Amino acid sequence: MTDTLTMTDLPGDVPGLDDYDADSIKKLTDREHVRLRYGMYIGDSSVQGLHHLVYELVNNSIDEVMANFAKNIWVTVNSDGSATVEDDGRGIPVERHEQTSEEKGREVSTLEAVMTNLNMGGKFDKRSYKTSGGLHGIGLKAVNFLSNWCEAQVCRGGAMYQQEFEGGAPQGALKKVGTTTKRGTKITFKPDPTIFKETKFLYDVLQKRLRELAFLNSGVRIHFKDERNGESEEFHYDRGLVEFIEYLNRASEAIHGDVIYLKTDAEGVQVEIALQYANEYTENLHSYVNNIHVPDGGTHVVGFRTALTRSLNAYGKKEDLFKDIAPTGEDFREGLTAIVAVRVAEPQFSGQTKNRLNNPEVEGIVNTAFGEFMSKFLEENPKTAKAIIRKGLLAAEAREAARKAKEVMRNRKGVLGSGSLPGKLRDCLSRNMEECELYLVEGDSAGGSAEGGRLRNFQAILPLRGKIINAYKSREDKVLDNAEIQAMIQAIGTGIGADQDITKLRYNKIIIMTDADVDGSHIRTLLLCFFYRQMYQLVATGHVYVAQPPLFRVMKGKARPYYVQTSEEMRSQLLERGTTDSQLDLGEGRLVRGEKMQKLAGLLAGMEESLLALERRGISLKSHATRKSSEGKLPVFHVFLGRAEHWFTSRAELDNFLEQQEAAGGKELTVSDTPTRSVSEDTGEEPKSTRSPSEESAPHAGSEHSGSEHAGNGEAVNGSIAATSGRASSQLHITELHEVRTINQGLADLKAQFGYDLDMLIPQPRTGSDQPRFVLRRGEHNVPLEDLRGLAAAVREMGQKGLTVTRFKGLGEMNAEELRETTLDPANRTLVKVLMHDAGAADDMFRVLMGDKVEPRREFIEKHALDVRNLDV
Amino acid sequence: MATIRCPICEKQFDPAQSPAMPFCSERCRQIDLGRWLRETYSVPVERNPDEAGAGDEAARPDETKP
Repeated sequence: MTDTLTMTDLPGDVPGLDDYDADSIKKLTDREHVRLRYGMYIGDSSVQGLHHLVYELVNNSIDEVMANFAKNIWVTVNSDGSATVEDDGRGIPVERHEQTSEEKGREVSTLEAVMTNLNMGGKFDKRSYKTSGGLHGIGLKAVNFLSNWCEAQVCRGGAMYQQEFEGGAPQGALKKVGTTTKRGTKITFKPDPTIFKETKFLYDVLQKRLRELAFLNSGVRIHFKDERNGESEEFHYDRGLVEFIEYLNRASEAIHGDVIYLKTDAEGVQVEIALQYANEYTENLHSYVNNIHVPDGGTHVVGFRTALTRSLNAYGKKEDLFKDIAPTGEDFREGLTAIVAVRVAEPQFSGQTKNRLNNPEVEGIVNTAFGEFMSKFLEENPKTAKAIIRKGLLAAEAREAARKAKEVMRNRKGVLGSGSLPGKLRDCLSRNMEECELYLVEGDSAGGSAEGGRLRNFQAILPLRGKIINAYKSREDKVLDNAEIQAMIQAIGTGIGADQDITKLRYNKIIIMTDADVDGSHIRTLLLCFFYRQMYQLVATGHVYVAQPPLFRVMKGKARPYYVQTSEEMRSQLLERGTTDSQLDLGEGRLVRGEKMQKLAGLLAGMEESLLALERRGISLKSHATRKSSEGKLPVFHVFLGRAEHWFTSRAELDNFLEQQEAAGGKELTVSDTPTRSVSEDTGEEPKSTRSPSEESAPHAGSEHSGSEHAGNGEAVNGSIAATSGRASSQLHITELHEVRTINQGLADLKAQFGYDLDMLIPQPRTGSDQPRFVLRRGEHNVPLEDLRGLAAAVREMGQKGLTVTRFKGLGEMNAEELRETTLDPANRTLVKVLMHDAGAADDMFRVLMGDKVEPRREFIEKHALDVRNLDV
Repeated sequence: MATIRCPICEKQFDPAQSPAMPFCSERCRQIDLGRWLRETYSVPVERNPDEAGAGDEAARPDETKP
């Protein structure tokens, strides 16, 4: 837009060159100029320009508010389509305006002057307004000149004045209407339909801008009313930009709680910045200069971004948060919601649409002010800082991943789509997808056996070798080799991600076959997780299976070996075999045999695991037995209240106790996650249920990993005695020993069916006898027993006599024939179809395995090490 | 509406609205793929040194435990 008029801009006929003479050069009146060149004042004559008229007036009123002369602004769309903007400010001066009066040769009020004279206004004088949104007082005139009619009302000095304008020209002089206690300016206008294509004010458009202005000018109260439909709203935000951010992020998930906020004055520039990161991928930055939205940013935004990137990078480096990838400034813009608002006395704008702030000094001012603030903020709020860094890292990773995917796509043509087959694949002969199967075989030497044993007509083998890497803290980890992942994708044929095409699947069954040990189960979890995440369709449509290779080979003499799949199965087989023909001598001529023997062994076997679980907590059966109730029940609840230890056999008993305590103490008990003192190593020793705290003071937590005895409860106690002894004897910690329920049931059964007491399970001190307490007999074998706990194990051992039981450590220990017979041949094998929830569970497990939290990971491994085959995935 | 948590960005989302299950977005899926390809996903290796005496393990599978 230019200020110079050229002749072609003038109305009328297009003049020819010959007509270019003195008459062509005209002086336009202010009104003519504004109406001809409205773009300079309100942008355009579209809906936007129309609403701009209202904004110009509101800006003037906000200047009054910011200068502390006004509090309220009323914006009303009247039922006739006109609009009114009113404030309770000082009111535009109404006295005679010397300069204009002289020029015009008549009495002209200041109000009239500012309504009709360009280059006239209060904003040129820095004493009246420090900074202003109104552009040099042009707003009021623009509104007047572009309206059909306009009415100005000023309340000032106890009187009310009014003047009307039509087509921009005053209709009579300024009139005093009467006296009033009100103050302020009220302008009502009806836009000129010959200028504006559309003269209907839109509620939503005004609402948005008025709300924005209220956010930007905290404390302002804007009353907005639309008389046409009676709708009204009030905008008032005491926390300003902070509330603006909360409003912008209202539908997003913020990644840190508080909005980061800075307001400061530096070198005459007022800088106000608010930001918050949300779980989004785009940047949502709004920039303002003197209340005006500056969509293209400019020097203030550049300064902000530079400082943001610099401070985040410095923090990330210092805290060593960047591992293999460092985020760029671009990455730190993902998910950023920010308002950068500055107030500058003399803003300069550049760019085609004047939408960019150009004052060079502003960049440095914002950069320094915000940089200092942000660095300090990050230091003081490490949790928020880390969340932001993590967000930036994810963005960097996304960028890197996209690049990598592209690269893989380019380098190995069609690897991630469909195309050539991997070299390691031993494909089947058949091309009939319906019958084809792909075995993914992990294990050191398993690939060879599988290749030899497969039914090559329809079974393909893809050997995978997990790659060992040195993970942190000298831990060895296994990963899926990059090349093998690609080979897998190629072989399966469907592609991954958005390009997945399940119709291109080359095999009806994708079968994961890993060793039947902990490692194998981990690899299986890893593979399932990969399928679940990257080949979701494959899992969803039920094409993924898990092979069940046997865990044991059993040979009896020269007969053909048979295979057993699980430890439970093996144990129960041995137990059954062992109880046949064996008898238990309880002394004094009491014998247990036959069906009764089977029952007893089965019952005791059923308690084995629970007893072990109890001992893993550091509680021996012997010590626990001293706490049994009068009915012979062992306590299930272990309770610390303050430093006092209590045991209860039922929930009811416990609740009863807690009620009493609360009644006695007169307040609710505080439940804590850690006991005030430890359950200690009473395994096999005399029970010490009433120890003094001083006995506990030996460091104990450190032993949690080393000793197998007290892995469960003896944690997080180190040093806590001293720390807690002074406070709250009402600190409550409850541990439920779930396994004791099973033990109690077993004890009850033992009593009911056999008349045996708990003592039978615990070695008893016996004097005067060198005979064993019990003897298990089978054929010529005699096994002495000091208690019945070991009976099941002893029976199994009996059952194993005459058998050669081999536990396969890996698939590789089976030869090709064995592998075919047990695991490959559809006639004999067992396949488990992976359902969606299994894969989801694998993913959950995987998260635990991957997790940095040592404790859940250790627990997980311990749990599954107990029973490898129970991974359920 | 049951939402699930994205494995990458941990955002809760509606599975019905996601184009990239089990992720919230194609972008998160791609980050995940990048991690597979960079071999950052690993599982711990467990050594079972006491598995040498194969024979009687079936009988006493608990011996390594307390």
